[in-house]
Amino acid sequence: MGKRFGVHSNVWAVVIAIAAILAVPALVTAQTTSGVAGNKDKGAAPKKTWVSRTADGQPDLQGYWTSLSFTAMERPAKYGNREFLTDEEAAQIHKEGIQHSYEFTFNDLAETPVYDATVYALSAWQEGVAPNRRTSLVVDPPDGRIPPLTPEAAKVREAARKAGPNQDYADPNAPVKADVAEDLNLGERCLSFGGPPILPGAYNSNFQIVQGTGYVMIEYEWNNEIRIIPLDGRPQLSQGLHRWHGNSRGHWEGNTLVVETSNFRPGATFQGANAKTLKMTEYFTRTDQNTIEYKFTIDDPSTWTRPWSAIVPLSHMQGPIPEYDCSENNNDAVNILAGARATEKAAAEKAKNISLR
Amino acid sequence: MKVTVLVLLVAVCAPIVVQAQSTPQQPLARTASAAAKIPAPGEFPPYKPPRTADGKPDFNGIWQSFVTADIDVQDHDAQPGPHPDIMGAYGAWPGGQGIVEGGEIPYKPEALAQKRANAEKRMVINITSDDRRHETGDPELKCYRPGIPRANYEPFPFQIIQSTDNIVMVYEFEHALRTIYMKEDKETPKDPPADSWMGWSHGHFEGDTLVIDSTGFVPYTCFDRAGDYHSDALHVVERYNLVSPYHIMYEATIEDPNVFTRPWKVSFPLYRRMEKNIQLVDFDCVEFVEKMLYGPYYKNSSK
Repeated sequence: MGKRFGVHSNVWAVVIAIAAILAVPALVTAQTTSGVAGNKDKGAAPKKTWVSRTADGQPDLQGYWTSLSFTAMERPAKYGNREFLTDEEAAQIHKEGIQHSYEFTFNDLAETPVYDATVYALSAWQEGVAPNRRTSLVVDPPDGRIPPLTPEAAKVREAARKAGPNQDYADPNAPVKADVAEDLNLGERCLSFGGPPILPGAYNSNFQIVQGTGYVMIEYEWNNEIRIIPLDGRPQLSQGLHRWHGNSRGHWEGNTLVVETSNFRPGATFQGANAKTLKMTEYFTRTDQNTIEYKFTIDDPSTWTRPWSAIVPLSHMQGPIPEYDCSENNNDAVNILAGARATEKAAAEKAKNISLR
Repeated sequence: MKVTVLVLLVAVCAPIVVQAQSTPQQPLARTASAAAKIPAPGEFPPYKPPRTADGKPDFNGIWQSFVTADIDVQDHDAQPGPHPDIMGAYGAWPGGQGIVEGGEIPYKPEALAQKRANAEKRMVINITSDDRRHETGDPELKCYRPGIPRANYEPFPFQIIQSTDNIVMVYEFEHALRTIYMKEDKETPKDPPADSWMGWSHGHFEGDTLVIDSTGFVPYTCFDRAGDYHSDALHVVERYNLVSPYHIMYEATIEDPNVFTRPWKVSFPLYRRMEKNIQLVDFDCVEFVEKMLYGPYYKNSSK
């Protein structure tokens, strides 16, 4: 488990470790104060908005945010068509989520700071995520589940599954194919940690939003990946240009920032969607000082049988977003490749010894 | 036929030439003739920059330098570049005038020797899973973040996104980013919380000048391909002045008592990119350097 996450620099590891020690009393406060207060939305009620404005009059989405959530992407079967939890259920799931994160962190200790979960996986129980009354992040289709794949997409995915996971971290004995750097995943290569859409990760779901005249910028902490969204109504790029995070165009609809994204790069799309046909629309609405309601709609008729949408609450967190020097200190790439060579060498030696016997 | 074309060209050009020659003799025909005059490089007529909604000079835009300082911040001749046998003119490096005020960088004697050694080792790549990986090789070659001020004169555009509390500069090269904090508070204290490639920066306005003070640099970035370098004591003070709708005059004072005998200064203009619908695109060079960096660990590598 540990090594895929080992891309933090040593420097930040130490800083975060210190921050953890300092932050413990604060997080207790954060958990208790965030409570259920931000979640009185009963679903059917008209969407509330909380508007503060930038100097040039745009709704202000700026600051440091986390998409961390304990809500499942797809609705667990036991909830059927129920869209919302009771307050008690929501509080219970939240409590379990915090506990699970805490256990993950302290069950994944390591002597090397970069592989030590207490160094990199603190935010789940530090950032004061508000409980979510939704039974799933997916809100459309109404069953809260991602719609079926098209037959063609199902075939592609099945072929990928048969080819096998390149590196199955859940199984330490699984074969690792690491002949060349291209065999590693995009995160291990420091090329992309994915998105859009913005979704919760196991940890480090952090990002910042800055608004300049005519632009909104989103910077994810992972690899300091950046999206710059122009608001001037310019046309989308031609299909001659592709981008790791797609290419975005934005506009305001009332107090909601609407961002349309296409021109994804093949091989770097959400859930293996078709880069040629994938269109994503995101809606950012600030619902209170500490919350943005973030909704995304994915439309890729060659991958899914219908468009689908999810809502992820974004919670305010303490900044800043540190520099994430990934490729500059990519020890993973060296260790995985060198490890594969060492394994081959050991196997060759063993075979030689057997044949000599 | 050829003669006719030439005659036509002369006929078309002649009136313009006459006009250009005659303008200096038209005294005080101020607006028209001043606008027609070609400005001397480095000189800009007085200019009051437009303001953001919060009343600050507006630096928003996509900018790029056109100096060759990324090759060498000092004066330098054109060079063949690596592997001219296969790269030809594609790989050759242009000559250019330096950006260092006074021409010379005030190295301490032992540091000058280090600079020369860096230049010798600029293409020596030895990637390990520890900090020894930074001992040789120009970080730019390895697609590492360029640091400051080099990011501002790499041959790639960058975008300034200016808000009230933060100004963000996003560089097309490896999507390097720096956030300039316009206030000091609990989240963004004056002292850097850790060293980083792009530094820890606070900014303020002095009149219409954006002044950015940066420290907290890792000791691994270089100023150019010629081995010019610094230590982790690097302190950079940058001054950005909007001198026309299309230009920023940029100046950086570089201080590092471990390497230099005194602070020194670079300056050059930044040009606003004016192509319709101009935007940054991706130059995530990581994928272009993997074989160079990790090749020795590849299966069937020659090593």
